[in-house]
Amino acid sequence: MPTLIIDNQSVTVPEGTNVLEAAQQLGIVVPHFCYHEALGAVGACRLCAMLFIDGPVKGMQMSCMVEAKDGMVVSTEAPEAVAYRGQVIEWLMLNHPHDCPVCDEGGECQLQDMTVASGHSVRRYTGKKRTYLNQDLGPFIHHEMNRCIQCYRCVRTYQDYCGGTDYGVLGSNQRLYFGRFQDGPLESPFAGNLIDLCPTGVLTNKPYRFTSRFWDLQEAPSVCPHCSLGCATIPGARFRELQRVRSGNNPEINGCFICDRGRFGYDYVNHSDRPRTPLLHGEEIPWNEALETLLQRLTKLIECHGSDSIALLGSGRASLEANYLLQRLSEQLGSAAPVYGSHAGRDRAARAATTLPTELSASLADVRNSDLILLTGADPLAEGPMLALAIRQAVRNGGRVMICDPRPVELPCSTEYLACQPQELLQLLSALSLGETLPTKLQPLVEALQLAQRPVLIGGGDLLGAEGTTALLAAAQKLNSEDRSCLAMVLLPEANSFGAALLAADGPDFEQLLADMASGRIKALVCLEADPLTDCPDRQQLLQGLEQLDFLAVFDHLPSLIAAKADLLLPTTALAEGAGTLINNEGRMQAFAPVFSPGQPLRITSQGNHPPRSFSTTTPGALPCQAWALLAKLCDLPVDLAKIRRELATQEPRLAGLPDLLAEGSGQRIQSADKPLSQPHALITEQVDALQLLACETLYGSEVLSAHSSPLDPVRPQPYLLLHELDADRLGIAAGDLVRLSAGEIQLTLPAQLSDRMAAGVVIVPHLRRTELESFYPGQPSQPCRVEKVSAL
Amino acid sequence: MSQLLFKNRRPNHTVLLDEYRQNGGYQGLEKALRELQPAQIRDEVKASGLRGRGGAGFSTGLKWSFFPFDAPGDKYLVCNGDEMEPGTFKDRALLEADPHQLVEGMVLSAYALNITTGYIFLRYAYDQCYANLQRAIAEAKQAGLLGRNILGSDFSFELHVHRSAGRYICGEETALLNGLEGKRPNPRSKPPFPAIKGLFAKPTVLNNIETLANIPHIVNGGAQWFSDLALTEEGAGTKLYGLAGHLNNRGCVELPMGVTIGELVEEHGGGVWQGRKFKACLPGGASTPYLTAAHLDVAMDYVPLEAVKTRLGTGGLVVFDDQTCMVAATLNLMRFFARESCGWCTPCRDGLPMVCWVLEKIESGQGTVDDVAMLRELLGHINGRSFCALALGAMGPVDGLLRLFEEEVLDHVKKGRCPLPRNSSLKES
Repeated sequence: MPTLIIDNQSVTVPEGTNVLEAAQQLGIVVPHFCYHEALGAVGACRLCAMLFIDGPVKGMQMSCMVEAKDGMVVSTEAPEAVAYRGQVIEWLMLNHPHDCPVCDEGGECQLQDMTVASGHSVRRYTGKKRTYLNQDLGPFIHHEMNRCIQCYRCVRTYQDYCGGTDYGVLGSNQRLYFGRFQDGPLESPFAGNLIDLCPTGVLTNKPYRFTSRFWDLQEAPSVCPHCSLGCATIPGARFRELQRVRSGNNPEINGCFICDRGRFGYDYVNHSDRPRTPLLHGEEIPWNEALETLLQRLTKLIECHGSDSIALLGSGRASLEANYLLQRLSEQLGSAAPVYGSHAGRDRAARAATTLPTELSASLADVRNSDLILLTGADPLAEGPMLALAIRQAVRNGGRVMICDPRPVELPCSTEYLACQPQELLQLLSALSLGETLPTKLQPLVEALQLAQRPVLIGGGDLLGAEGTTALLAAAQKLNSEDRSCLAMVLLPEANSFGAALLAADGPDFEQLLADMASGRIKALVCLEADPLTDCPDRQQLLQGLEQLDFLAVFDHLPSLIAAKADLLLPTTALAEGAGTLINNEGRMQAFAPVFSPGQPLRITSQGNHPPRSFSTTTPGALPCQAWALLAKLCDLPVDLAKIRRELATQEPRLAGLPDLLAEGSGQRIQSADKPLSQPHALITEQVDALQLLACETLYGSEVLSAHSSPLDPVRPQPYLLLHELDADRLGIAAGDLVRLSAGEIQLTLPAQLSDRMAAGVVIVPHLRRTELESFYPGQPSQPCRVEKVSAL
Repeated sequence: MSQLLFKNRRPNHTVLLDEYRQNGGYQGLEKALRELQPAQIRDEVKASGLRGRGGAGFSTGLKWSFFPFDAPGDKYLVCNGDEMEPGTFKDRALLEADPHQLVEGMVLSAYALNITTGYIFLRYAYDQCYANLQRAIAEAKQAGLLGRNILGSDFSFELHVHRSAGRYICGEETALLNGLEGKRPNPRSKPPFPAIKGLFAKPTVLNNIETLANIPHIVNGGAQWFSDLALTEEGAGTKLYGLAGHLNNRGCVELPMGVTIGELVEEHGGGVWQGRKFKACLPGGASTPYLTAAHLDVAMDYVPLEAVKTRLGTGGLVVFDDQTCMVAATLNLMRFFARESCGWCTPCRDGLPMVCWVLEKIESGQGTVDDVAMLRELLGHINGRSFCALALGAMGPVDGLLRLFEEEVLDHVKKGRCPLPRNSSLKES
């Protein structure tokens, strides 16, 4: 660990740290552009010059390119260094337009900051500035090339870090062009990171364009709710509207990056149909009446029909605290423990995932550092997009990726693909966990596993189910030894699926609830941010059950199908409007802070008038309350999050760290369960002859919150059906043909897509909400189906 | 006067294999494969005092000594033939006359360095050289002088020619490697140096065409003989000097290392044209600081030229007559360099156009004393602070201008116009 002196202060840094980072560690801000903590140093901008007075190198050096060594004496304030940095800024500003007042970056522009920091104030150059034509880069990113200072960060982000190939640098000398060969939407699902990484206003957020100034935004550290990975985000709100999301920085999870689903999926918060007032049979009522009514109705039903006539339904969307208080409510009412999740298969897989000992659980940082990643039944881009980016970093560091999947899993890096039937995945994992020999086609996998030093096994709860998930965890434990660690990760459907599953423990699941509803035993159902009507695969049975209810209460902030049917609707806040805790798929507790208070967006209440004024003593639409606070009131507990967390931590020893959790920082892993992992048994599955239908998550369109976000509308896929080329040949189907899919009672006509990079004998349809494919739900065994050609393309 | 590289050179004539062999060609290779160990060749090259002819003048023997010749795996020999320095055409002259020298030089070097694959990175515009090389390589292969088991020995060497896409930056060795790999030719950060991590991240030796063409002669004649060819104490061998600019005779000549500028101008260049006087010259291509008439007795060799704050560079002498405006001449050069910047680092990409702008201002009579001060400031800020050596070289003429022609620059400011009567050839925008 070298020790060096910067500006008369001594600092000791890890081996390999550069001098710029060492200065930052001392809190010394030296202007820089091309260096970025996630992208590294390339020495292009020449701005971070420092004077090296003593040590192995001397003279003016670019500090990002010099590794910190013992005995270095460095000055950041030497007059020649200050003068040179001023000169570099003058050069960078030669062609930069003075359009800060109309530039979206203004106020959070690194170029502004660095220009001021370097002391450059007068442009001596009076010649013509160079100008460019901009490109249409699609719905997310606005391009303004005249502002470019050629720091190359965008190329290094897009191509190197994110693996995109359709954006780069063209031209040379002072006429560089950062863009595409031609106009068109950026293809990478991580393109939005260009907004965060561009140090000035070249690449800005298109949906957010001309909406707010940075300093007018309400921001707070938060957690992304759009998958189970729990990336750190910083949402920004103004005028009672969530206006944008930028990436936070959690080195254990997402680093400095987020995916476009997380960045542009925020608009559900502003949805015009969002429930905003408590409604009893469609009539507005005050909050105290609403809560009283709920308790009265439930108590009355218990009196008439017994305590098992009440069912409570929690979810992986609701916070840990709210889900916990639902449990408290059930205890208070004397009813059965809540059911967590409206999809029994997913719930069971999540519960299996919670049994993994913490020391075997892989974070995204572990994935980035891995040398062999085995994906079994996991499609990162659909089920946890940032995992795909973490895998890419592992590959960039020399790691290997092997994919066993029936789907054509695509990643932004080189991979080795082995097509497997869903049942083969289970056999593979159970064989690995029991140390049995694998079939010959999987021999490359065996060899790779033997060589790997830091392997990570990754599975998707949807495809593996509870049985496969258990086998995956057992396989990791089997392969883990003192010589080398083998970690595991399971992708779960929702941001707090892990937390909900932890609370569910051995409690009932939704299948039992469905049976009880069908039998007419259940008279009242209370849904906490859960929509069984969109999430339960068995919709027929659910509808029958709902018919038999006397009372349906729904806590939610989404305009969901079940909310529309509710007798009593209790509007809750969205994640950004409240505080709480989520547990991500690796068992990491993360607290989020309130960004803003709920209210009808000014954009809606002002009805398009500008300036958007409204005159009222109350805030319209400000009634939604945090679900945990409502439940605390119902349980007659103090509305105090800290107290609830303390209580929960004493109740559940695995959550011991909960009271100390801060909304900033990298969160905290839960404690391992004290019981050993359950052992899988050898699986024997029968050969299936018919085509099997498999419904799968997609990047856009499957996740429920982002399905309500209008910025994502342009990128949502149209329904399609995917077939293996061999099967298509046999059935006389060509790519683009319309085909009729018959599965159970459902018949649909869809355009066919073909692939040779998938398991034969499998038919894949994407789970697309609010389309005819909505009813094909992932997370359940594949069902036999038939596919016939209807008409050619 | 002894001629090595131009020994077989005749106007409008390219030497083919038979003629080359008749005149002693490939004897060095035969000798080496028959009786010399690779280490002996490396020692001989080091002892010869040969310095790189591409511009930087780094000792070839020393460069080779950093190369891990016994490392396992692929290693490459790359010939830098991207001759794009203005005022420089020696490699073209060499390849147009006698291409087998380069082929033999590369086979010998590869043998000395235990390398089995070589690339010649050739300037885009050199069609004739490309055709000559293609033919020479085919001939050499046919004759068993190249390819598998050369001359029946265990040594094999494959040689490929790659044509540059045509940018000055491709002559920078690490940018050249990126270009050869099919990437954008931005320079790479050093260290690691190419000898350790070069082409396709493998150990790589890069040498100029003229440097490599000298190797057979060193192997044939010995280090001492080669070293003694130079006129200066510390110099070695002969040099291909380019003669360009305001001279009566322009062209490329081979002379002993260390011939004086005056001799080159008067005896070989036929004196300054149109009966005018010698005002200034660029001794080694566009990226070397100027010299004046006071320097005519300076020897054209690495050390003597460094003593007068300039460099031998490529040995391409460009002469300016006494009617040349040095501001206009410098501006002309700066426009070239600003255009040829790869755009990677700020001092080069944005600094050089700013220098052009200041020079334009001064040349057009709009300049002020502050502008001259700004020019001096820019010189200090660009020199040595860019990512690669392009900007450093580019500022050579500005350095010379401000050191040797400051009065002429200030005269522009005082008179509010260019003080020289006619210099139209350098004045178009």
